[in-house]
Amino acid sequence: MSENFENELRRALRPIDAPDGFAERVMRALPAQRDREPLPAPEALPTRRLVRRFAVPAAFAAALVVSMLLGQHVADVQRQRTEQQAGLAASRELMEALKVTSQKLDLAYQAVKTPPPPAGDEENRT
Amino acid sequence: MGLNVPQSMADSLLVRARGGDAAAFAGLVRAHQRSVYSIGWRMLRRRDAAEDLAQDVFLQLYRKLDHIESMEHCGFWLRRVAANLAIDWLRRVPYSATQPLEEGAAVAAPLRDDDPLMSRQLDRLLGELSPAARAVMLLRYQEDLDVADVGAALDMPVNTVKSHIKRSLTQLRSRMIGAKLVDCEVPT
Amino acid sequence: MTIRIALLLAALESTAPVLSQTPPLKGQLNIPQFAALADKASESVNVTLDSKLLSLGCRFLNAEDPEQADAKKLCTSLSGIYVRSYTFDKDFAYPKADIEGVRRQLSAPGWNRIVEAKSNKEGTNVDVFVLIDNDKAAGLGIIASEPRQFTIVNIVGNIDLEQLHSLEGKFSIPNLGIETGPKTPEAPKKKPQP
Repeated sequence: MSENFENELRRALRPIDAPDGFAERVMRALPAQRDREPLPAPEALPTRRLVRRFAVPAAFAAALVVSMLLGQHVADVQRQRTEQQAGLAASRELMEALKVTSQKLDLAYQAVKTPPPPAGDEENRT
Repeated sequence: MGLNVPQSMADSLLVRARGGDAAAFAGLVRAHQRSVYSIGWRMLRRRDAAEDLAQDVFLQLYRKLDHIESMEHCGFWLRRVAANLAIDWLRRVPYSATQPLEEGAAVAAPLRDDDPLMSRQLDRLLGELSPAARAVMLLRYQEDLDVADVGAALDMPVNTVKSHIKRSLTQLRSRMIGAKLVDCEVPT
Repeated sequence: MTIRIALLLAALESTAPVLSQTPPLKGQLNIPQFAALADKASESVNVTLDSKLLSLGCRFLNAEDPEQADAKKLCTSLSGIYVRSYTFDKDFAYPKADIEGVRRQLSAPGWNRIVEAKSNKEGTNVDVFVLIDNDKAAGLGIIASEPRQFTIVNIVGNIDLEQLHSLEGKFSIPNLGIETGPKTPEAPKKKPQP
């Protein structure tokens, strides 16, 4: 497809200005109090009791534990995000597959419902 | 994308809007209203419906500000909601393959100094595409999203997005050739 | 796209192989990937969802969307969905031998052809096969071919054909009738946002 044509299309589809006063009308339509949709509560980080058996400075030990916990939390969040991406992609593919399947089944159903042609007609047979 | 503010200022607009600053939210609306309204107008082909849709989109944004991570995310989110809302509206009302533009709509489209006739004709022919194909073309060529982002915005596999683009370009081009507005290229 | 999903899953399970090597399930056909056809086709759909990917995809369907809710009910009893569908700009640009190879698998014991529809005028063929196992439908095979398109569908698991067919009406297909006058869209229901 010609690149020129796509550029023409981009030119033709440059955004159009909203009507005058649009933003003001939106602001007037806002509810008096924002009904905020809550975010899901963040998972609580696991807590551990530190046992001081060795001569490790408390600050160092605490920093070590916090960084381990944070690292685990970051890994968990990353894992969830990856799973969500994979899941959403799989659900899109699933819907596409079911759409194609049902279209082809409909072709078959239509063929079954269509009465057979008169004898001597070679065009259609079921 | 269409925003003329430095990123740090744009993000602080978002933070202030989340904090309840009405002027900041109005700033968000102004920053994105052109894109959202244009998607509505080119999908629904009516000025009043486009404004209703755009307003609905921004009201949804107002409720969901806490879910928006950055201005870039805000732009993507608004385009996604606008396109999907327009497709939903069109599904509930049978649309015509040759939907006429409302009267005076041609005036709304800015005049081009290169080929105004071709631009208007292309804009008009876009209305003959199916809602899904039209949404794909708008997100790709009006909003300049890449194919993967178009797929993510419309919950559509990438191959389907590519198919819509290929078929729509072929259809638009053949109509333009028919109207003698583009030259017919000799295939290689 | 399917390989990308598999790689994403592999990132979740570091010990799992990238592509599953489990033996085929009853009702599962050996369908070529047709990798070379995607570039030649003007339109293509290539879906490979084994039981793991299918169950993952099913979890992420939106139960508040009517289409996806129906699909969710259907796919809970399935073990795999495989679709290859290609449309071309020229007649018979696809390899008939590969399609016949799939058709031969559908003549194995247990598979029953329940619909055979041919139109010599349009060159369209649609064959629907069902695998019966213990008096239940355990597999579905569809081979549909036209001069410029072919489609192979294989669904594995406990299948309800009526439920599958009923989905067709749910995938909105635009009404291409000419309108007598402009209509203002009704105010829509609020679509739930992710």
